[in-house]
Amino acid sequence: MSAVEALYIFDEHNTPLLEHIYTGRPPPSSTLLPLYLSHPSPRPSLIYLPNTNPPSLLYSIIQDQLLFLSPCSADTEPLQVLEFLHRVADALEDFLGSPLLASKIESSYDVVAQLLSEMVDGGVISCTEPNALRDVVEAPSFMKNLLGGVGLPRSTTPSSLTPSATPFSLSSRPTAPKIASPTTASPVPWRRANVRHTSNELYVDIVETLHVTIAPSGRPLSAIANGTIAFTAKVSGVPDLLLHLGCPGGISNTVVLPVFHPCVRLNRWRERPGELSFVPPDGRFVLAGYEVDLLGPTALDIFTTTAKSMPKLNIPATVHINTSLGPAGSDFEVRLTLNPRYAGKSSSPLPSATGSSFPRGGPRLGGAGFGSNSGTTAAPSIEEMVVHIPLPVSVKNVMDLRITRGLGDAGYAPGDRSIEWRMNSKDINHLFSTDKGGGIGITAILRGTVVGQEDEEDSNDVVGLGASNPYDYDEDRGSSYQAPSDATLGGSKRDDGANARKIKHNKVLMPSCATVSFSVKGWLPSGIKVESLSVDTKRSRGLGAGVTPYKGVKYLCVSRKGVESRC
Amino acid sequence: MHPSTFAHWSLSTARDLTLEAARDASYARKTSTRTLPAAQLKKLLDSRSERDVLEGLRRIVTMSYRQPPSQTLPFFTHVIKNIASPSLSVKKLVYIYLLQHAEHEPDTALLSINTIQKSLTDQNPQLRALALRVMSGIRVPVISQIVSLGIKRGVGDMSPYVRRAAALAIPKCYSLDPSTEPQLLDYLSTLLGDKQYFVTGAAVAAFLEICPNRIDLIHPHYRSLIHKLADMDEWGQLATLRLMMIYARKCFPRRTKKVKKVAPNTNAITKQKTTKGFYDSDSESESEQDQDQDQEMEEVAILDPDHELLLKACQPLLQSRNSAVVIAVARTYLYIGPPAYLTLAIGPMISLLRSASDIQHIALYNIVQVCLLYPELFVQHYSHFLVRLTDASHIWRLKLELQTLIFPHAPARVQSLILAELSHFSHSGSLDPGLVREAVRAIGRCAQSSVTSPKTSARCLKLLLAHIGSADAHLVAESLEVIRHLIQRDPENHRTTVVRLAKHLDAATSPQARASIIWLVGEFAGLNPENNIAADVLRILAKNFADEAEPAKLQIVLLAAKVYVHYLNANQPPEPTIPAEQKSSSLLEGFQDEDGFRDPHFQHKEEEMDKEPEKPHAIEALYKYILLLTRYDTSYDLRDRARVYRALLATPSSTQLASLILLAPKPVPQTPSPSETRKGYILGSASLVIGDEGGVGGIKGYEDLPPWVKEGEEPDARLREEKGTPSAYEAGAKSISAAERLDAAASSSKPVDLGTSPSRGLNGVGLGSGSAPRKEKTLDDWLAEESEETESEEEEESEEESSEYETESEDEGEGGRLMR
Repeated sequence: MSAVEALYIFDEHNTPLLEHIYTGRPPPSSTLLPLYLSHPSPRPSLIYLPNTNPPSLLYSIIQDQLLFLSPCSADTEPLQVLEFLHRVADALEDFLGSPLLASKIESSYDVVAQLLSEMVDGGVISCTEPNALRDVVEAPSFMKNLLGGVGLPRSTTPSSLTPSATPFSLSSRPTAPKIASPTTASPVPWRRANVRHTSNELYVDIVETLHVTIAPSGRPLSAIANGTIAFTAKVSGVPDLLLHLGCPGGISNTVVLPVFHPCVRLNRWRERPGELSFVPPDGRFVLAGYEVDLLGPTALDIFTTTAKSMPKLNIPATVHINTSLGPAGSDFEVRLTLNPRYAGKSSSPLPSATGSSFPRGGPRLGGAGFGSNSGTTAAPSIEEMVVHIPLPVSVKNVMDLRITRGLGDAGYAPGDRSIEWRMNSKDINHLFSTDKGGGIGITAILRGTVVGQEDEEDSNDVVGLGASNPYDYDEDRGSSYQAPSDATLGGSKRDDGANARKIKHNKVLMPSCATVSFSVKGWLPSGIKVESLSVDTKRSRGLGAGVTPYKGVKYLCVSRKGVESRC
Repeated sequence: MHPSTFAHWSLSTARDLTLEAARDASYARKTSTRTLPAAQLKKLLDSRSERDVLEGLRRIVTMSYRQPPSQTLPFFTHVIKNIASPSLSVKKLVYIYLLQHAEHEPDTALLSINTIQKSLTDQNPQLRALALRVMSGIRVPVISQIVSLGIKRGVGDMSPYVRRAAALAIPKCYSLDPSTEPQLLDYLSTLLGDKQYFVTGAAVAAFLEICPNRIDLIHPHYRSLIHKLADMDEWGQLATLRLMMIYARKCFPRRTKKVKKVAPNTNAITKQKTTKGFYDSDSESESEQDQDQDQEMEEVAILDPDHELLLKACQPLLQSRNSAVVIAVARTYLYIGPPAYLTLAIGPMISLLRSASDIQHIALYNIVQVCLLYPELFVQHYSHFLVRLTDASHIWRLKLELQTLIFPHAPARVQSLILAELSHFSHSGSLDPGLVREAVRAIGRCAQSSVTSPKTSARCLKLLLAHIGSADAHLVAESLEVIRHLIQRDPENHRTTVVRLAKHLDAATSPQARASIIWLVGEFAGLNPENNIAADVLRILAKNFADEAEPAKLQIVLLAAKVYVHYLNANQPPEPTIPAEQKSSSLLEGFQDEDGFRDPHFQHKEEEMDKEPEKPHAIEALYKYILLLTRYDTSYDLRDRARVYRALLATPSSTQLASLILLAPKPVPQTPSPSETRKGYILGSASLVIGDEGGVGGIKGYEDLPPWVKEGEEPDARLREEKGTPSAYEAGAKSISAAERLDAAASSSKPVDLGTSPSRGLNGVGLGSGSAPRKEKTLDDWLAEESEETESEEEEESEEESSEYETESEDEGEGGRLMR
């Protein structure tokens, strides 16, 4: 049950970049790639290929436009292999620098080869932790200066390697036992040994991704923010950090289903939610992930057919579509509503969620002050606004696409499956400047007309059908069957019937939803903020006395087609 | 970086720096010139300057990744020559080359073995581990004994890094030469008891590779493995969880301790139902036993303390960032834990939906699998199952299925939300025809679930009926199909629905949709005789019979036959109704007895029909006309069927038979959830994702769950204490535990916590197990239990001495730990 038999990497043009075989005799990449590509896109991450020799499971991920394939001849846990592929990509990125490019791999095959052979041994995944890999594989030399590992004084004291002294003797440096008494602490497996940085820095980046679904009525069906806390630690020695998160409603009520990097002490979080105590790996890593239900637990109560009050959902932009407009019902209108709070001007008052901004917390953090993020935290602004309107397959063209209010750039080419309406920050600023301050929000409107392929034949059809309708059961002339029965009533109403029919026909061509993408710096939908980040000096080691690392916090809210409105 | 690396650097700092400079330069150079001519490469490799050699090796490695082995093979000897180089960087690259090419040149590769073997004793643990890994990776069978010796040395190494390499070398050595198994198992059992969590993780992986069924090797290390579980790396956790699932199945019988149930009956029944679902996957032979046990389990879930230890140790892993671990824990809870534990895993499983779409896809399969058994647990997470625009087809398919699975168990508001969602996707008629189809089917599944109330069903039907007028042919066809299913489930209440449908016969263009409607009309031809449309519909259809597609024609003929039978039944002038009924029942006594062929409702239908006032000539004429038309049809199937009907209905004596055939109540169609077919596969396996496509019984290497061990056949629980009396059941364990006893005796002078693993004393590993204090309570529990047992078994003869001795030493160990 070897998990990983081979690893193949292809670049963005699907030219093979690397072929590393771990165990067995898996089908070569030249066989697998065509089979993979023959699968219709979007390709699932696990494909079964019964016709290869041996019959293989093919796992695939695409990261940084590189395609990672791994064949496997026996039943394994799919997630294990997929997670491994992700880790390979992460490790390569860590060693070769971000973003991971094909050329970078090509220029350092020796490093890649060492990495790959360290990560899997005989088909069994053995070590994927980037920091642990740093201990055994030298990063390409242009990284070495950053890591500061060159020319250290020699001290070979084999006795210090005995496991009794330091359980993790793999990563223990000869000097470590002197600093640490064996009982209190042990070097950690996820942290590289002997970290040295001339400037000590800590960065917290909290990114929340919005996933909102809005019903045709404007009522949110679900609103979830997926949060990720990315941490960058560039601190010497073995620091022990305490990150305190705060939130207006209390962290335990806000954050659900968290996952943590193995370095986080789970008990501490359980006892005191919001406190993350950990010894960080060196470099950038994902400290935690969580989820926030923006509608709260009462969301269901609101979802009744009679409720008038919509749940309050505080998101920067929403979109609404009106369809079947115009005489033939072939027009549609997209209304984009921006929340004036995110105009990006400090004058606009903010909700409590973002009101107490980080700078005030700065002094508490040992005087080291946070980075210059405050400007945006106080006045978050929307950027990179894009509205996507996917169109049905039967739509052949969109005519007369125009922005009747607001600015931007609406693009559609005949044959496209969607309309894209872009607004750069200048457009958005302009929009906001037109705001009268009513607090309702600023609206921008896009209109267009859809054209299907059978528009011409349609009108003849309608009359013929209507006249020859032979069924005349009257007892249930429901509203939905209006069109044909109207037509039977006689010639005078034929035009109406035809129009109704046309509207109905055009209904199929109407877009059924629209999505908004944007990013907001300095604001999080959940209202979570970093209360404090402190270095526990008693438990930390190797950090010189009096050294206070520079700390920086960034908040970012993104929506990648995440706000979806239906109609 | 590793200490030895520093050692090396400092030895030749100056040289290193030049090396580095050279490499820097080479980065720039490489972009211009990719490959060097072979002669020049060889010259580099043969050079005495380490810098040149390194450069040459880098080029060779690059070549080996870009070109077939035949290109790099000519350099074999030149590369291998450098294996004795003192430089670690050179060695590493030579090793990589060797691993890739050894198989092509086994003889030359053998020459290098000696040097590698020397490296096994190097001062640098990293190099030792590397050498062990390379040696075992060279696939030349003759060296299996050398490899085995190397592993033996590695097992006793001071550095855990080397011990881990030894653990990982075991399966490689085994595949090289299976006859080395006995020695390997020996090493393995030592490694399983290693103090270092990442050594044990690798050891467990190796164990699963070579001998997953030798659970007797696990007994002495069970508890230490469980205690280390939380600290292992993700891959070790995965291996251990897999092992423990098998182990628990084989070693912890579901308790049949006599606990009388006190709970009221009704409660018991529902509870029993859930527990039964929980063990659903068991083989049927066991089902009887299951029931017995379930009845008791409903009172108190009696878990072996060791079993519970495992379940509790899994809990922190639910917060793992590795999705495979989360699923593995869910699997553990699903198959070996009581349902209460499974509830804990639901949230973390849902959280996997946040991850990248490839992982999300696999996670959804697993969620569906659990949801099939416990839909109610997922209801609160409904908002995660809403289909998003960005979802790919393989993802929304599973999400729709999840919606329908939780639908019957959801509160009314969620139900209406789900229905709104489904109807949105069904009528949007737009983005993806597949999505529309699936959404319609999903509505059908929602409507026909047994738990759904009639009112909700009616709502679903209303949604579907609204589609009939749509301009989208696929949507109409699919909706009709589902409507047909729904109507068949409850014909009485759907008379007007059929009339409505008939009215749309004209608008419906797809043959399948027409066939569906015509069939439904025929089914309902007997209902409501005063105002039945069947004959009328037939009349209209007869006009354009020739233009119909074949499926529709078939149904028209059938409709004609049905209408005619009804007509015949209604017009049997000489005989009154009642004798006819009796006659029919006497004719069919056998049928009725066996499977209740005719239900009262049907008879009632017939009675109603008898009063039907019809114009006989018209129907008979129509029927004859249709038959005549079919006679000249091109489809032989159609002609054949027409012949059958003609023969059936020709003589009045066979009318009863004809009505039996034509008017028999149809079985209600069932559309199971699409994933029902995968239900048998284990959570987390690839076979679950692939389904039956990979062959019945799963993909190669798929292993089903082992059945629960029967009460009384399980290995003695004391085997898990470090080494109690070995039972007769485990003959194999005896020798091993004896060997370990010696080890333990040798090291018992130290206050090492022998309780969990005897071989911890190896390698001079001292105290300081980080995980011990957390689990102290359970440890106390079993210690207490163990001492009781020892008392009760004073009489045992042979092992008594030693076992008592062990208990003492264990207590010492425990005390020592507590003091710490």
